[in-house]
Amino acid sequence: MTLPRWLAPMLFLLAAAGATWRAPLPAAPAFVPPPAAQADRNPPSFAAALLPTAAPSAHAAALAELADGRIAAAWFAGSREGAADVAVWFATLGAGGWSQPQTIATREGTAAATRAYVRKVGNPVLYAEGSRLHLWFVSVALGGWAGSSLNHAVSSDAGATWSPATKLQTSPFFNISTLGRAPPVALADGGLGLPVYHEFIAKHGEWLRLAADGRIVDKVRMAQARRTLQPAVAVLDEQHALAALRDAGPGPGQIRAATSADGGGHWPAADALPLPNPNSSVALLRLHSGRLLIAGNAAGNRNQLLLWLSDDAGKNWRLARRVESDTDDLVEFSYPALLQGRDGRIHLAYTWRRQGIKHAVFSEAWLDGGPP
Amino acid sequence: MNPSAIYGWLAHAIVFGALVSLLPLGAKRRHVGLAAVPLALLTGIATLLHGFAGPPSATLLALAVWQLAGRAPSPLNDRPAWLVIGFAVVFYPLALGLGPFDPYAIGYQPWPLLLGSGALAAALWWYRRNDWLLILALALAGYAGGLFANLWDALVDPLLVLAAVTVAIRQLARRAPAGGKAAG
Repeated sequence: MTLPRWLAPMLFLLAAAGATWRAPLPAAPAFVPPPAAQADRNPPSFAAALLPTAAPSAHAAALAELADGRIAAAWFAGSREGAADVAVWFATLGAGGWSQPQTIATREGTAAATRAYVRKVGNPVLYAEGSRLHLWFVSVALGGWAGSSLNHAVSSDAGATWSPATKLQTSPFFNISTLGRAPPVALADGGLGLPVYHEFIAKHGEWLRLAADGRIVDKVRMAQARRTLQPAVAVLDEQHALAALRDAGPGPGQIRAATSADGGGHWPAADALPLPNPNSSVALLRLHSGRLLIAGNAAGNRNQLLLWLSDDAGKNWRLARRVESDTDDLVEFSYPALLQGRDGRIHLAYTWRRQGIKHAVFSEAWLDGGPP
Repeated sequence: MNPSAIYGWLAHAIVFGALVSLLPLGAKRRHVGLAAVPLALLTGIATLLHGFAGPPSATLLALAVWQLAGRAPSPLNDRPAWLVIGFAVVFYPLALGLGPFDPYAIGYQPWPLLLGSGALAAALWWYRRNDWLLILALALAGYAGGLFANLWDALVDPLLVLAAVTVAIRQLARRAPAGGKAAG
């Protein structure tokens, strides 16, 4: 059967018209600027406790503040990292302390929702947007974490129930090697900027621009001279932001930096921060006071967890507090997550000896309270 | 469940069926290939392939349907295969991190790609390659329908490149004995 010659070009024109209609034309990128700096009036305070145990091995906590003021945490836990029984767990901190953890993403559930085989899950990211709570997490079908794909689910009831996970299309190569670690930031158009990273062959940070409906409308590479991972972003104003990145070597590292001066449209490399980084994840937070706070490890190993402050938008840094320290190099206090609640209290969650997730809550006055 | 997930799952079953139909099974091979499609869905093969390879491009799906329909020859013959390989040699290293430029990002706001596909469509029409013009239309329709977030994913994927490499190798293998005779 021979098709009429006009049919193929006609179908092409129809399809091209449809594609043109769907292609996004977003406004120039801009951040939602942070509120004007306000001094924190909470008295010096510090308290820390382990979250209820979900499984023998736990790692990679994420934090969010729910609409009702409760603090939510998500992390992955199982018999060991990468095991088939690893799931993403979720708990909330209310007046009565931490709730019993519940699973919110498993490999079986993710495989059923995405119609794709999943071997393991990991690295949750939480973000509260009004009454909606976003969860991003990675899933792997083959190989190590470099084979990760990014999944997204939403809860409209503060984490009690979740939408089926959808897999984001973020890579042309078998849709692998996009991982998340740090929370997104709000964009002026109602969308989100989600810092992610790539670690298959090359290792670098990336920036996913999401429209208000969740659709990816741009992807920007955070190119660096060294291998970097796990960007964490703090917005400074409508156009400027700082990203702090894990230094993936080779050799001893410093916290790497990238800056954006155009609302996340570009992320050129900046001078490394004068802070050590033993190839480990860092958390970055702009405090209500306008100062920047980083949580990360000391040089060498992950057996010390430190807090650094900057009073000048990241130009200069000083050690504020040593949260954890152990003489054993194999002990690990790592993968911090930072959040400042609406009440001004600062929350820190981190991997504690790979056995659990520890949560610390403190005031800004405590950070200033003396030598570490 | 979102349409992209369903698409990837079903498309992999069809690609699997097309692969089976390439096996040397004689006159029944097309029917065996067609039977392999529901088999892939029921046994989890399509789920496995979808997990390993992500969603196939609309181009690969169209070629698989072409194969299962018993239409010969395949549009993916020598010249298109080399074009796909040439594209992949440049595109994938850049997209995976070689240098600061990421060509894959263009596919999220694909205005340059749409202009390019218009020019490509005109060339295909001029050279009377209705087969590839229909495949290009299908890829754009897949993007327009929301099955792909990035237009590149509708157009190409690594399995398509693998198929092109197979075609190119077969072409080279066919030429090798002919060259030997000429030299002798």
